[in-house]
Amino acid sequence: MNDQTNVKFRLNNSELWGGLIGLGLGGFVIWSGLKLKLGTINDPGSGYVLFYTGILMCVFAGSIIVSAITEGGPTLASRWENARWSKPLLIIACLTAFSFALEPLGFLLSSIPLMLLLLRLIDPVRWPLAIPIAVLVPLGMWWVLNRLLLIQLPSGLFGIG
Amino acid sequence: MDTLANVAHGFGVALTGINLLYCFIGVFIGTLVGVLPGIGPISAMSLLLPVTLSGTPESGIIMMAGIYYGSMYGGSTTSILVNIPGEAASVVTCIDGHQMAKQGRAGPALGISAFGSFIAGTFALVALMLVAPRLAGIAIAFGPAEYFSLMVLGLVVLTFLTQGSMPKALLMACIGVVLGLIGLDSITAQPRLTFGRMELIDGIGLVPVVMGLFGVAEVLLNTEQAIKRDIINAKITQLLPNKADWQASAGPVARGTLLGFLLGILPGGGAVVASFASYALEKRLSKTPERFGHGAIEGVAGPESANNAAAGGAFIPLMTLGIPPNVVMALLLGAFVIHGLQPGPLLIAQNPGLFWGIVASMYIGNVMLLILNLPMIGMWVQLLKLPYSILFPLIILFTILGVYCSSNNVFDVYVMIAFGIIGYFMRKLGYEPAPLVLAFVLGPMLENNLRKSLILSQGDLWTFVQRPISAACLALALVLLIAPLLPTLRKKRELVALDEGA
Repeated sequence: MNDQTNVKFRLNNSELWGGLIGLGLGGFVIWSGLKLKLGTINDPGSGYVLFYTGILMCVFAGSIIVSAITEGGPTLASRWENARWSKPLLIIACLTAFSFALEPLGFLLSSIPLMLLLLRLIDPVRWPLAIPIAVLVPLGMWWVLNRLLLIQLPSGLFGIG
Repeated sequence: MDTLANVAHGFGVALTGINLLYCFIGVFIGTLVGVLPGIGPISAMSLLLPVTLSGTPESGIIMMAGIYYGSMYGGSTTSILVNIPGEAASVVTCIDGHQMAKQGRAGPALGISAFGSFIAGTFALVALMLVAPRLAGIAIAFGPAEYFSLMVLGLVVLTFLTQGSMPKALLMACIGVVLGLIGLDSITAQPRLTFGRMELIDGIGLVPVVMGLFGVAEVLLNTEQAIKRDIINAKITQLLPNKADWQASAGPVARGTLLGFLLGILPGGGAVVASFASYALEKRLSKTPERFGHGAIEGVAGPESANNAAAGGAFIPLMTLGIPPNVVMALLLGAFVIHGLQPGPLLIAQNPGLFWGIVASMYIGNVMLLILNLPMIGMWVQLLKLPYSILFPLIILFTILGVYCSSNNVFDVYVMIAFGIIGYFMRKLGYEPAPLVLAFVLGPMLENNLRKSLILSQGDLWTFVQRPISAACLALALVLLIAPLLPTLRKKRELVALDEGA
């Protein structure tokens, strides 16, 4: 790793961020364990295992942070070097939009646009192929699940599906 | 005689029409996901977990098991023909398998891979039949302290073998334990980490977590790269290895089978570790190690046998102790639990039809796989030409449907999407999801056994070291935790550290 991608004290050291997130989570778990009551060693309470797991998390996160500071680590940008980072970002955006649309619109009205977007965004599939796949696959799955297996899929405000 | 009678009973169960159909569906889907790079047995099993609800426990578990060992067969096809491992256990097959294909010997490579897998799979089943009932007899004497220590050992072994830094893997395991504890406390019925949401009272489901971390995250990672496939287009002829091939492969198949089976039994081990260990062993034993990497058939025969034997061996800790040794077995445990069954020492005695039926179905499945993978090789090659631009959106749609159908709850779809996004960033930052998932499954059991041990011993921590099995497990776990601190052992760990995720 060259100096450009391996940094020690700088804030864009990805290892440091990973460790800090772990430390934060560990702190939260310790606090949750304490809130739930530890009990005694003879009769451990609901928070007993959470509390000690939180401590272990802080220890491991601390070790990651120390190693990030002493040995350095790749920058955040280098993790996405030579990668088509926009593709996963677009899929994440599509999935987030889908999760908001699923209940109000129902399965069919939300999954057909999702499929169409994914087919066009990942590595663009030609429209004449993308449209039939985007429509027929969710429709086929809906038919199998709803009609054959009698599994009710969300039908949304419009009652479609 | 008892074993023979049980095997006959098992075949009676496995040979019923519906179980044969489920077995075929399982091995077919297993081969399919093994062939297709990007989806592994974990994604496929989590996708089909809800389907098992529609049949009997035997049928569902027979299908799930079929997916697992079927993927071991299918994975080698992609490794040999495309130089992309279909699943993680076939990574090492790429090295010599694809070189053989390039030299016009794709047929013998595929052939020895299928025959080696069949031999190893058969051996593993016979060993499973002989070892499992005896181990179950011993395991009845296990108390909560032994179970706790065994689970700790399993988690430590998995973190030891996971790619990347050990603190990261241990942190993942801790997060998995915490996630597993969400919901009502089984002893005090107090809600934990539910944030006032009713959906979390029963905890987070295994299916959305696994589908998110392995299905969605895998798609997100794969779309980052424009995957090029170097498919061998020449017609594949002469699938049967010749006499020289058999002579060269006999030793590697035998050694790979034995090594794979033993590594499969160990908690935290599995097919991936076994295939790498077998390759290293064959290279070390070879009189001409320089041939490895240039199309040595031993480099295909050994690892392929090892990963199939390990797949069989991994059933032993699950069936006899109720402890899943790896993520795939954790999913299988989920299938048992869905049907109200608890794998463990009493499973074989209480449900002989189920246990022996599964074992017999695995033998039938191995025969089916031999037929599916040799005469029908052309069909799988055609499948490899399916573009990812169509495959990935389909996988995402199927994961959404799979999660929804497992609980009829939209909340689980949100959980899956969230874990998909988290899993993607985790993998980008070098945090492997396998320890998290295993700890997620083991977490509640681990906590339960720890608290039971402490209550029974009136808070005496010595209970964990006074019992020999528990003490041995904890001592081994401690050695593995300390090992990466020593430079020589750290190097060895880096050599065997693996990506279990694919």
